[in-house]
Amino acid sequence: MLLTTILCVPLVVGLLCLFVRPRALMEALNIAGFVGVLVLGVKLFHAVLAKNGAAVTEWNEFLRADALSAWMVLLISVVSLATSLYAVRYFRSDLTSGIATARRVREFYVLTPTFATGMLLVVLANNLGVMWAAVEVTALSSVLLVALYNRKTSLEAAWKYVMLGGLGLVLALFGTIFAYAAAISPTGGGAHLPSFNWSHLLAMAPQLNPHLITLAFVFVLVGYGTKAGLAPMHTWLPDAHSEAPSPTSAMLSGVSLKIAVYALLRFHILTTACLGTGYSRNLLLGFGLFSMLLAGPFILTQKNLKRMLAYSSLEHVGLICVAVGMNAPLTVFGALLHMGYHALTKPVLFFTAGNIHQHYHTLDFTRIGGGLVRTMPATALLLGLAAAAVSGLPPFGLFVSELTVLVGGFTSGHVWVSVVILTTLIIVFCGVLDKLAGLLLGPGHAEPPRETISAGHIMAMGWPLGALLLFTAWLPGSVRQLMEQASGIIRGLP
Amino acid sequence: MNTPPTETSSQFITLLASLMLVVQLLLAVQRMLVTNIRLFALQSLLLAAIATVVACVFGAWHVLVVAVLTLIGKVLFLPWWLERLVRRIKIGQEIHPFVNMPASMLICGALTVLSYVVARPFTSLERLGSNTLAVAIALLLTGFFLMINRRKAITQVLALLTMENGVMLAAIALTTYGMPLVVEIGIFFDVVIAVMVLGILVFRIRESFDSMDVSKLNELKW
Repeated sequence: MLLTTILCVPLVVGLLCLFVRPRALMEALNIAGFVGVLVLGVKLFHAVLAKNGAAVTEWNEFLRADALSAWMVLLISVVSLATSLYAVRYFRSDLTSGIATARRVREFYVLTPTFATGMLLVVLANNLGVMWAAVEVTALSSVLLVALYNRKTSLEAAWKYVMLGGLGLVLALFGTIFAYAAAISPTGGGAHLPSFNWSHLLAMAPQLNPHLITLAFVFVLVGYGTKAGLAPMHTWLPDAHSEAPSPTSAMLSGVSLKIAVYALLRFHILTTACLGTGYSRNLLLGFGLFSMLLAGPFILTQKNLKRMLAYSSLEHVGLICVAVGMNAPLTVFGALLHMGYHALTKPVLFFTAGNIHQHYHTLDFTRIGGGLVRTMPATALLLGLAAAAVSGLPPFGLFVSELTVLVGGFTSGHVWVSVVILTTLIIVFCGVLDKLAGLLLGPGHAEPPRETISAGHIMAMGWPLGALLLFTAWLPGSVRQLMEQASGIIRGLP
Repeated sequence: MNTPPTETSSQFITLLASLMLVVQLLLAVQRMLVTNIRLFALQSLLLAAIATVVACVFGAWHVLVVAVLTLIGKVLFLPWWLERLVRRIKIGQEIHPFVNMPASMLICGALTVLSYVVARPFTSLERLGSNTLAVAIALLLTGFFLMINRRKAITQVLALLTMENGVMLAAIALTTYGMPLVVEIGIFFDVVIAVMVLGILVFRIRESFDSMDVSKLNELKW
């Protein structure tokens, strides 16, 4: 019943928050719920390892967790927990300054667990149709979160997000149906429907209709690729990330983009098993490279902190897709490691951006000026550390994962791809550090009073960075084993 | 291999599918908002009829569930809800597309031809009717065009819904029995909730912008 419980905990929290009155109780419920999901996620992690390559299944294989799903469950639970811890101070401060109403705050505490439930269902569902429906649930709940402030710009961002996301999801559904049709044509149908479970399709992969699978992957790539923010379908991404409340931006960027990549990966594994060629791999590589190349110039010329962070997410999602596309043992392992480290870093960046927004009431680099180290020392310190981490400086983990991908790329013969990756990483590195050096250390104009923030709140914001440092220095053998299993699944090894 | 569909039922399904396409073309040229919503209801009714024919001919009870869900959701509930929304936000009836009527008719015609070309290699895989897959792709492409061509937020929602009708038609055409019931129900509820979320957004956009013209949503750049 482990998988069912993982899904039920956030769902129940979301439903309870519809009814409980006091805000403190809603906050406590959210935090307790996500602590629960994290504990269950760790339990699932051990259960999957104990199975030694086989998957944990429930409800007649309706729910299924292999190493890849278990890894994603861990990411979802960590980011959701960080979000719910940070949200407490964020929304209290919004309420006192009158930016958000009590009703909107309740909306947040109901929708965030719903969003998390949707993401958990995406990674735990075995049936590809159910996975599609779950992706749609995440899109719908996050759209309302993006529109939470009801400003003109946030409504615009939400509308773009829902229209592009809706379009993408219709295309993904089309692709999903093609994949199902590919499973029907060899058996000739018959009165009983074949199972639409991913594991079933993978087992019969050589018999799937190759034409339909080819077509299915294109549709799914464009569809879920929109949700993952791959260029050129990324245009909703900077808008939604910059207009959403900062806790939601953290969830969108930290984990929801990777959930869409996960959905893409399931189809990639299926397509490769059916066709036996590098078709889907090369497409992932191409779209990933394009996203990385596009992100660089936009970061260099960006004027808004959260939009810059959004483009940095675009770059990281691109890197993950490229690394999977290169398909060497090291690069795929590096991609999974990168997902994890990025999930620990990006939320902290969005949290600090949220603090800055509440203090300065703007995120525009020129209007803030600089001098954050003087006005908001604690936030500035965390922002500086997280920015160093996200641009790939040692001793933070992203340096290790990027290096792993690059070494894997060079040694597996993808020299040109690796050179391009290295170049874009350097461009983004310069862009992020240039912008943030000005923001943190530069001369400030019209400096507002110093921020007051308690040590507890700093802890609640910054603990993922501590975890990042810990897991960079010491990656437990069991985690490594899980990621090796997951990368084996992605590379189609038995 | 189950028994091939009888000639009559196959022709009947082809007829209904082509009627769906005709309704789509009417949508492209129709200027009144409420008529647009009713045309969408009619198109969904045709989809429900196709599902019913499939269910009766093949004796597949779960396709009948799909037909009933489509009837309740997309023929009755969503059009009613959208019309109520239109009344509540008191918007003008005229649609004001970007491209004028004859030109949009021509574009839709070209897109339909294109989808027949695209669907050609796959006609052997169709299990029901003839050219139903081509019609489904045509619905998808023209729906996409409708979405670009409309200014009002609510008409974009309708375009998205017609695209979804196209996808459901493809599901029936390619697989005979549609998808497993749990998937169909999941898709159904997602679509209904999606339209309600969109409705909430339309309502809020109307309140903040005093308009539903999405071309005014142009503040965020880069």
